[in-house]
Amino acid sequence: MAMRQTPLTCSGHTRPVVDLAFSGITPYGYFLISACKDGKPMLRQGDTGDWIGTFLGHKGAVWGATLNKDATKAATAAADFTAKVWDAVSGDELMTLAHKHIVKTVDFTQDSNYLLTGGQDKLLRIYDLNKPEAEPKEISGHTSGIKKALWCSEDKQILSADDKTVRLWDHATMTEVKSLNFNMSVSSMEYIPEGEILVITYGRSIAFHSAVSLDPIKSFEAPATINSASLHPEKEFLVAGGEDFKLYKYDYNSGEELESYKGHFGPIHCVRFSPDGELYASGSEDGTLRLWQTVVGKTYGLWKCVLPGKNFYSELPNSKMHGFFCHFSSLILFQEEIASENSDSIYSSTPEVKA
Amino acid sequence: MQTPLTIPVPVLRLPRGPDGLSRGFAPDGRRAPLKPEVPGIQECPIAQESAESQEQRARANLRERYLRSLLAMVGRQVSFTLHEGVHVAAHFGATDLDVANFYVSQLQTPIGVQAEALLRCSDIISYTFKP
Repeated sequence: MAMRQTPLTCSGHTRPVVDLAFSGITPYGYFLISACKDGKPMLRQGDTGDWIGTFLGHKGAVWGATLNKDATKAATAAADFTAKVWDAVSGDELMTLAHKHIVKTVDFTQDSNYLLTGGQDKLLRIYDLNKPEAEPKEISGHTSGIKKALWCSEDKQILSADDKTVRLWDHATMTEVKSLNFNMSVSSMEYIPEGEILVITYGRSIAFHSAVSLDPIKSFEAPATINSASLHPEKEFLVAGGEDFKLYKYDYNSGEELESYKGHFGPIHCVRFSPDGELYASGSEDGTLRLWQTVVGKTYGLWKCVLPGKNFYSELPNSKMHGFFCHFSSLILFQEEIASENSDSIYSSTPEVKA
Repeated sequence: MQTPLTIPVPVLRLPRGPDGLSRGFAPDGRRAPLKPEVPGIQECPIAQESAESQEQRARANLRERYLRSLLAMVGRQVSFTLHEGVHVAAHFGATDLDVANFYVSQLQTPIGVQAEALLRCSDIISYTFKP
């Protein structure tokens, strides 16, 4: 029997979710941070979407958020002209790094010793996190606001994207190595260390370039303007989302569109695969984060595979409770699906009503 | 031949949201599954340990009793005392995972009977029912 994707909606934000990032895989699992225009970035358990905590302190919309590899630190970039570094275990603010304009992007090096920031002041800044009082090193050259900045090539180089260009910089010499020009606004960039692949989205295009040479590898066209795309760790699939509120999944090798999902009530701003590739998360203008299974029907996280012929309800401790699951903030009501002759009664989601 | 009916993938529960009270980061929350490595700490006296585990057992016991009380309430008439001296009665349905909301039916309010309603727990001061 064919299974239909059940996205898991993570509520809590009250404004559009504009950025999200996963940590690496840690002994405690992996984690997810979301940046929101409500100024309150949240940390969640990566495989379930369970809320862990909210980083409180920013006084403006948070445009960028990231976690270090072992999810012990978080960094956020905000419209209050600061980037902040946080203890991701306690939620405490560790550092506030003042900038001269809106900060849009933050990225840790692999060893968490340095933080890269970029924003509307068109400067890339490198902060030594062991010397927070020291002035950051600055790289200039961009002619429009920086949207995304990432460490690459084992932190020896930096990739940065502004409105119409993507530039590669050498960390040691702080000089530009190469640049790419685009006719359309670059909406997102993702760096895949294994294989040195760069994923860039602009207009309806999802393009893949070598992160070392910036040479194009391949590109796909989507049915609508794409705001973000992510490549699966094993490079079998890619997912993308944008202005038509839908999420698309493509076969990376053939470019064939495999699946598409409606669900969000607004444009999708960010999409990322989890570090184990088992799920992907999307953040939207509608203020929610959704988790989607890569392989629909697999038992993982909160998704539970039910074998045909088995009644799901027999597993619940008290069968009276099943009909009434309500999650207030997003008002998702789970009702009993009207059982057909040969299918089992299980949860089905009715259309959401946004609070 | 008809296209087969697709079944949505079942889920155990929804992701937990913010509790609305604190900023989170519960000390034993996310680090709980793994046994924390305590290489040098052996001076923890046995007596202290058992007091802690006793408290934990007591808490678990109380929690279980509370959850069972919720189960016993299902389908019964419950009287709620809300703020500002308001009293309402309803048939209890269920609570959500965090016990932040009570799902009730036939809610008798001062301005009429509501067929189905959600009562926010933060609005409830106390409730009582006869099993």
